[in-house]
Amino acid sequence: MSDTAPTEDTTIPVTVLTGYLGAGKTTLLNRILSEDHGKKYAVVINEFGELGVDNDLVIDADEEVFEMNNGCICCTVRGDLVRILGSLMKRRQKLDGIIVETTGLADPAPVAQTFYMDEDVKRATRLDAIVTLVDAKNLAARLADSKEAASQIAFADIVVLNKMDLVTEEEAAEVERRIAAINPYAEIRRATKSAVPIETVMGRDAFKLERILEREPTFLTEDNHSHNEDVMSLSFEVDQPLDEAKFQNWIGELLQTKGQDLLRTKGVLAYAGEDRRFAFQAVHMIADGDFIGPWPEGSPRKSKIVFIGRDLNRPRLRRGFESCVATEASTATGAGAE
Amino acid sequence: MSETVTDADFLLTHRGKAEDLDAWVVGAAFSRDGKSAGFALGDGTLRLASTGDITGDWQRVEAHEGACLSMVADIASGFLTGGDDGRMVRTAHDGTVEELANLGAMKWVDCVASHPDGLRAASVGKKLHVFGKGGPLKVLEHPSSVGGIAFDAKGKRVAAAHYNGASLWFVNSKEDKPRVLPWKGSHQGVWFSPDGTHVVTTMQENALHGWRLADGQDMRMSGYQSKIKSVSFTAKGRWLATAGADCIVLWPFFAGGPMGKPPMELAGGDGVLCTRVACHPQHEVVAAGFDDGLVLMAEIASGKVVPVAAPGRGPVSALAWNATGTQLAFGTETGFGGLVDLSKR
Repeated sequence: MSDTAPTEDTTIPVTVLTGYLGAGKTTLLNRILSEDHGKKYAVVINEFGELGVDNDLVIDADEEVFEMNNGCICCTVRGDLVRILGSLMKRRQKLDGIIVETTGLADPAPVAQTFYMDEDVKRATRLDAIVTLVDAKNLAARLADSKEAASQIAFADIVVLNKMDLVTEEEAAEVERRIAAINPYAEIRRATKSAVPIETVMGRDAFKLERILEREPTFLTEDNHSHNEDVMSLSFEVDQPLDEAKFQNWIGELLQTKGQDLLRTKGVLAYAGEDRRFAFQAVHMIADGDFIGPWPEGSPRKSKIVFIGRDLNRPRLRRGFESCVATEASTATGAGAE
Repeated sequence: MSETVTDADFLLTHRGKAEDLDAWVVGAAFSRDGKSAGFALGDGTLRLASTGDITGDWQRVEAHEGACLSMVADIASGFLTGGDDGRMVRTAHDGTVEELANLGAMKWVDCVASHPDGLRAASVGKKLHVFGKGGPLKVLEHPSSVGGIAFDAKGKRVAAAHYNGASLWFVNSKEDKPRVLPWKGSHQGVWFSPDGTHVVTTMQENALHGWRLADGQDMRMSGYQSKIKSVSFTAKGRWLATAGADCIVLWPFFAGGPMGKPPMELAGGDGVLCTRVACHPQHEVVAAGFDDGLVLMAEIASGKVVPVAAPGRGPVSALAWNATGTQLAFGTETGFGGLVDLSKR
């Protein structure tokens, strides 16, 4: 492949709204739709809330999670989305975006995986961001009584911390701390009645490889991750360049064997003998990666990887990542490039 | 003239008519009375051409509010379409539009089917609505959304593809209990073999699945590069032609096949994906459309290929023969529609 020539992206961005029933998804949806932006959106809803959705093009579909490839649990997709997104492409009127509102109990993984697994969906659309609405008052209870609440936060690119009018500053800070413990990379937006600027939730391109790890979590050090959350995140950094083959082998094997527990994996890597950054991301077992241009002038070439998931074994993951460092022999070949 | 051999557009320019339809061509069909050819488009309209003179003007008809999602020839004449406005609509030869059913706001009529004995079917989500001569006949529920529907040749059974298999229903039975053909995975299109002995489905994976109805024997047909969106049995059912590879893939349904038999490949070699197939209604000839817009005909016995339309007009998304096999209609994702007359002059 030659240098990345900028080609026009004709794919339609898809925003996924998740969050528990009553967290304010439909209110946010109506805010997005009612704003005077002159844009045309299609909306896919999976359950009727008490509020109607005010848009010309609303598709009411049953949320259907399908296993692909004979029952591999990590290869689940949303069958209804495959069908709907495929058909939306045939409409003459070009859409500016598609918003998918999931049911309260939905696991976001099949939605995200649909954008990697289905060739038609991949060709015509791109996942813009997963936006998770959280009820500031009730998050603790939801985390205690369900697995999905943590998964929805783990998958979020943006967390809208809603119903701020119902909590004190201390309570809000505690909820934010818990969200950050699960997913320190999610951007948290405080809101009342789902009032957030639209540009904070739409048009984010959060799944673009270039955006990987753009946000550096500042408020957590590596060691205060553990708050007995079911879902946690671990990040590792190495200063020496990595051996590309070693990394691919290691991550491939890791995702194959631990993919079920690894909700999201993201990394930016410095390969030996390579001037460009390699961006990597995975949703469970499904991985995507590419070179994303040179390292910024003067920035240290550190490789960094983040895992968000359950039952993560810190020493094993650290050893595994560190074992991908290029040996003398392989760095020597790359030395000439400097 | 030697020029005719190399000019891939010869048939289209000399024996046909083409038009820029300005919207994704969702379906193409000929009416059962042979009077008209129709194109269903992603902008909710149809184009109707008179088969008596295909070079005449094609009539534009507003059929659906949003997009047409599927189209077939209606019972005796005209066309039947389903749309994302929740309606099942009949369009007559003269362009008269009649709403046959409104199946719900915010609901999509994904698939429609018809049978000359007065039967129509429309799928909406998990439901399959069956209509007889007198109107609604029954509503058949499935465990998950219906991906494709089909009547058998006799109009006795209707099949629906869904998650983890396909269901066969007797149209006229008093008790609605389906025969479920199980196979793990999401099934998206369904077809009966012309003699009604086999059912074939296309899947979310790049594969086909089939069942021999006599004993429920499974048939797995895989090895495709992409999802298979179009299959077609030859007139007597000896071959099943399929899209989804960089050639036309034909599975033999004779001499014990397709189990344990390799498929035959036609019109391959240039690495372009076949997107549509349609078998000639009488002869063992397959028309095929490709991802680059090429439309051709291939004779199964000889492998001889005749081009119909040159590449360059968008992926072929619709392809159909008329009942006598003298005319071929095709359309593309980028809104190109073509009609070719192959009858002797």
